Amino acid sequence: MTSIVLLVVLLAAVGSVAVLIRPQRTSTFEFYLAGRRVGVVTNACAICGDYFSAASFLGVAAAVYASGLDGMWYATGFAAGFVPVVLFIAAPLRRFGEFSIPDFLGRRLESHGVRLASVAIVQLIILAYLVPQAVASGIIWELFIGRGLGGLSAYSTGVLVSTVAIMLMVSLGGMRGTTWTQAVQFLLLLAIFLWLAIIVVVSGFSYTDALRELSSRPLTNPVDTGGGWRLEEVANRLHPDSPASFGEPGGQYSQLGQFALILSLVLGTAGLPHIMNRYFTSPTGTAARMTTVWVVGLAGLFYALAVLLGTAARSVIRDVAADVPWVAELTTGGILRVPEYALLVLGRIFGGQAGLALIAVGALVAVLSTIAGLLLASAASWGHDIYERYINPRATQAQALWAGRAAVALVAAVSAVLALNVRPETLTGQFPSIVATMVTWAFVLAGSALTPVFILAIWWRRTTGPGAVAGMLTGAAAAVSMGAAGVLLGDSAYSEVLLTPTVFSAPCAAAVTVAVSLVTRPPEDTDRIWVRMHGTAADRRAVRIARLTVTGFGRRGGGRG
Amino acid sequence: MRDDGHDLSLGSADEHDTPAEVDAAFRTLRRVAVGHVAVFAGVVVGVPLLTAALDWWSQGRLFGGMSPMFAMTAFGLYVFFFVLCLAAATLSNAVEERMLGGPTREAPHDGDGTLPP
Repeated sequence: MTSIVLLVVLLAAVGSVAVLIRPQRTSTFEFYLAGRRVGVVTNACAICGDYFSAASFLGVAAAVYASGLDGMWYATGFAAGFVPVVLFIAAPLRRFGEFSIPDFLGRRLESHGVRLASVAIVQLIILAYLVPQAVASGIIWELFIGRGLGGLSAYSTGVLVSTVAIMLMVSLGGMRGTTWTQAVQFLLLLAIFLWLAIIVVVSGFSYTDALRELSSRPLTNPVDTGGGWRLEEVANRLHPDSPASFGEPGGQYSQLGQFALILSLVLGTAGLPHIMNRYFTSPTGTAARMTTVWVVGLAGLFYALAVLLGTAARSVIRDVAADVPWVAELTTGGILRVPEYALLVLGRIFGGQAGLALIAVGALVAVLSTIAGLLLASAASWGHDIYERYINPRATQAQALWAGRAAVALVAAVSAVLALNVRPETLTGQFPSIVATMVTWAFVLAGSALTPVFILAIWWRRTTGPGAVAGMLTGAAAAVSMGAAGVLLGDSAYSEVLLTPTVFSAPCAAAVTVAVSLVTRPPEDTDRIWVRMHGTAADRRAVRIARLTVTGFGRRGGGRG
Repeated sequence: MRDDGHDLSLGSADEHDTPAEVDAAFRTLRRVAVGHVAVFAGVVVGVPLLTAALDWWSQGRLFGGMSPMFAMTAFGLYVFFFVLCLAAATLSNAVEERMLGGPTREAPHDGDGTLPP
């Protein structure tokens, strides 16, 4: 009961931030962009809150728990994804301005076709990202609360409660409320990771000794054989003749599989609509660039802790499984049957019910903050790019805001329905972490369809609207068809590459964009577009105006004094 | 500022960049980005690839049971990403400050681009 009260209080505190800091003026500029006054550190924390979803909080530790070093490629790819953003995207994207990715591409390439095609792809990416978040909230509710409400199962209750709660928060808070909520949520996540890491280390856990001990025997995981669960040795994908080991690569991926996964995550980050939309809230292009540097640093700290905790869970849970009945119930031969439970179980072992509650709150917060960002990106895409531009161009600010809120409700409902039809227990064992794997599919779609076009639109003057549309459709079609082939082929030699096909689909998209662009006419006013996107005049003007304002306030204050 | 977020004064006489200036800065920034991304790709590809070339990389022991590859993947890569991004961002900011803004530009703004409070 105490843990449920703690959960409710913490979630209410986080939710109230959104309502208290909601936009004071009812305009789409405030609702979607928070007035473009979000500072570097605040925005970096908000981007981390947006980015560190259930896949990062539970999934990375779960993947390390299940696959050892090969599970760490998720953390590497998630953290590395911001490097291309610093180098190629953050500053020019902010300097060009606009509300959303479709808005940016539509104006840069002066094409309605690009805007409509990118709205469709953005919505697909958002749905692909939303569903695993809702699945994760169902899994957390199932383990933490253990019972449903109103005749529903625990899993369904978790999916519905989280979806409704975050839908209300986003509708009320808009980007300003969501920004501050996400920043607070990230700090909470980091604090929970630090608390758990400190308590695990203080209790006598030695990282290096645990690695020596875990690597001294073959890597094994529970497998459902139909007649029950039993431990099976994990096949070594790099050296088939020797068993896989926790501390060495090969437990999940071949060499090509490793590259395919990392590249999918690296390229996917730059095409995630809820992350890229955050750059439009920075005051200047330079601030957007430096925000990303902060994000890279914070992501490194976060993922280093996640890897440590995944390793600790593998070592500690096995040691206590025989003596602790509730751990024994969840394990086979000392190994958890659902890897996503790793951090939750670790929290309960070291912190009792309060520890479990804290990790469950962290996981729910990770889910909610990401869902909030996704819903806002979806609202901006439907409300601004479709409703305001095509359906009702004369819409008042109030009408446009209600269109955005309606989009939030609709997309949230669709993702909840899809998540309710997923049965996580039937997929366990096929992937190192079902949540991290499902999120990776969203990265694959983003990295295949959007990122190549995005980078070309920013760095190649000759990019045209028809070229971008052809590239986006090629990338999306290649990613979806190869991913479907990977699922159908099952556990074959090629399936790991087919499930993360960005290594093939992104070059296809880039090649088609270039080929079609070369035979079509680019926008006429490229010089003006280039000055706006790569020049710094607007940045300097914003700084000068802010200085004058500060000086004016100082003089007025001094005059009164 | 209009409600749709566009500066009405964009392109006004007080602060402006010429297309030639922007093009020169753009080309320099592109070299900076491509150079850094080449280093980034080399390291990210090199960490898993070294397994095939050097047994010591994945099977040797640095601290206790931690191999050089595990240490690099668990900590080293994150430090590398941060240092690379900081270097690239600092260099890009310096390039923009030197190459854009014309002869009458004033002292550069805060290093991280934050507006004054």
